[in-house]
Amino acid sequence: MKRFLLKPLLTFALALTACAPMTTTPVAPSPESGPASVQPVTLTVIMEQVPDYDIVAELTKEFEAKYPSINIEFEAMPYDAMRDKLLTSFLASKATYDVIIVDNPWMDEFAKAGFLLPLDDYIAKETGYDFEDFVGPLREIGRVEGKIYGVPYYNYALGLIVRQDLFDDPDYQAKFKAKHGEALQIPTTLEGYLKVAKFFKEQGIHGIAMQPQRGYKVFEEWKNWLYAAGGNLLDEQGNVIIDNAAAQKALELYITAYREAAPPSSLNWGFDESLRAVAAGEAATMISYNWMLPTLNKPDGPAGNLAGKFALYEVPGGKAVLGAWHWAIPKNTASADAAWTFIAWLTSKETDKQRVIKGGAPIRVSVMKDPEVWQKGFGQQYYETVLKILEDAEPLARGTRAEEIINEVGTFLNSAVAGSMSVNDALKAAAEKTREIINRP
Amino acid sequence: MHIAFRYRLLLPLITALLLIVGYPLGFSFWVSLQDYRLTAIEGATWIGIEHYIALLRNNSFWTALRNTLVFVATAVSLELLLGLSLAMLLHRRTTLGRNFFRSILLTPMFITPIAVGLMFRFLLNSQLGVITKLTEAIGLRIDWFSAQNALLTLALIDVWQWTPFMLLLLLAGLEALPEEPFEAARVDGASAWQSFWHLTLPMLRPTLLAAIVIRMLDAFKVYEYVYAITRGGPGESTETIQYHIYRVGFLYYRLGEASAMAYVLIAVILVLVVTLFYSLRRA
Repeated sequence: MKRFLLKPLLTFALALTACAPMTTTPVAPSPESGPASVQPVTLTVIMEQVPDYDIVAELTKEFEAKYPSINIEFEAMPYDAMRDKLLTSFLASKATYDVIIVDNPWMDEFAKAGFLLPLDDYIAKETGYDFEDFVGPLREIGRVEGKIYGVPYYNYALGLIVRQDLFDDPDYQAKFKAKHGEALQIPTTLEGYLKVAKFFKEQGIHGIAMQPQRGYKVFEEWKNWLYAAGGNLLDEQGNVIIDNAAAQKALELYITAYREAAPPSSLNWGFDESLRAVAAGEAATMISYNWMLPTLNKPDGPAGNLAGKFALYEVPGGKAVLGAWHWAIPKNTASADAAWTFIAWLTSKETDKQRVIKGGAPIRVSVMKDPEVWQKGFGQQYYETVLKILEDAEPLARGTRAEEIINEVGTFLNSAVAGSMSVNDALKAAAEKTREIINRP
Repeated sequence: MHIAFRYRLLLPLITALLLIVGYPLGFSFWVSLQDYRLTAIEGATWIGIEHYIALLRNNSFWTALRNTLVFVATAVSLELLLGLSLAMLLHRRTTLGRNFFRSILLTPMFITPIAVGLMFRFLLNSQLGVITKLTEAIGLRIDWFSAQNALLTLALIDVWQWTPFMLLLLLAGLEALPEEPFEAARVDGASAWQSFWHLTLPMLRPTLLAAIVIRMLDAFKVYEYVYAITRGGPGESTETIQYHIYRVGFLYYRLGEASAMAYVLIAVILVLVVTLFYSLRRA
């Protein structure tokens, strides 16, 4: 009987004592000896199991052909498994992973905990790398206290994805004009968005497929509304301002949108559900990752007959929530130089261009302005919109406790959408919690 | 000499238990008394019972504990009721196809809980859920994952998966009961209800106790359904204690605080189990 009681505790204690599986990593070639060093090296790379990973894995065959002494082994896994695995690898005396990817809420936390290797010297030595070519806001995520700890892998900034055919429909245009006395257009303000969303709902199609799921999802979506209302989580001095008038307005409008324009019973919806609603033609718009557009428009993609009818715009208000993955090297790897060789090759202008043409999410300005990419990829308009989105984007949250802030604020937001807390109470509680998290020693 | 040899035989087991159970348990208690964060293990300082005191003011923790207790009470009592009814039915020799039903009814138990969670996430989905469509067809529009219903929905999923366990245990208990008292009762003219109430239930008490305690302890560990379906939402309405501890310990890396929570949980469970034992034994 007693062992039943012990199980929950054992989980914790064992996790501490357990060692992550070890991979033997021979000594890396020194920078002087060049990439084609005689010592063979195996790099273990942790990846998230997403389409972008498949592209990287495919490209890596070229890397291995070019650098025969460096062997790459990928370990791809779902997002939720990554944080634990990374931490176990950081704490082990010998790293499990030699090359890692870091999600933006984790960057400050991992860098300040001393888990990551500064990359400034590597970047400075790399000829033709052109670090400044990465879009500014993406580049800044990898910089912690003046040092660079990560170089961009792919972006997941948010954009407004709409059914262009519905907006272009003369019938809808006439009806909208008759009702509101103005043309049916892609919304650029929150009020305009709500008006359009409610209009489509009246026409029998949900205005917005929203993602009010507790925690990360609702925070990620609502923060775009917050930016549009002129608010933010913190002001420039670092004070918590998530309970000010702008935030109130943003949350009130968001809840109105949920109640009056979103599919019913979608309080628990995340990315999958809203995508499915839009792909199935049940919703006219959604705020989602910019690279969902090519997926939706793919002839054999999830949208079926609707493929080709979707378009991407900047979110209402212009400023978007920025998410990004960065490549980084753990401090405890024995193969740092080889790890950098791989990262530098993969994020170089040439390889990155190949990656984006194959469908990878863009990170470099030069690649997004390259006519060859437009032509072989998804067209000039798409890349120009993505560039515009990225240039005016701000990370979800920063600081060593970003993960916790995102989850806790996201809990109060979801409570407000569910109606179990008033807008005022939810934002007050969110602000108080954020202050508590930030001020904790 | 004989006794010494007996104890010597026990030694490997005791050593193994000390290593696998004793050490982690002691270590996690030590961790709970420190400001132990996984991102700053070196800087961990001794803070005594501060984490425990802080828990008193931690609303999320108590909400999670309350949710868990509601979940356990709802799920286990429904499972007991259903399990016992089914066991009685399958115990009757006159029930048609009892062997077939015995095996078919056990199948939910063999599915891993995370898969059950994912299955029901789709079955109850408001867009494409089969169950949602069926209830809508009879005019019932249920929002399974609303703030009011979500916890109950999770409890019902648990009932679907674990009633078979109750059934299995209680059926075994029923089959182990002696025939004679029931025959004597029949001769004395006892009704079916009377022989259930005065014979079956009292004689089945040890089995019932074991079944309830095992299911209860198991239900306290609920994590998979929450993780796969609601992530604790809407708001905090399905935040269970294990999920909360996981978030604090492994998402926020505050292991000291998470260990303190785990110890409070152990205390709560111990009190419950001891009370249950005493009340059922005495009765």
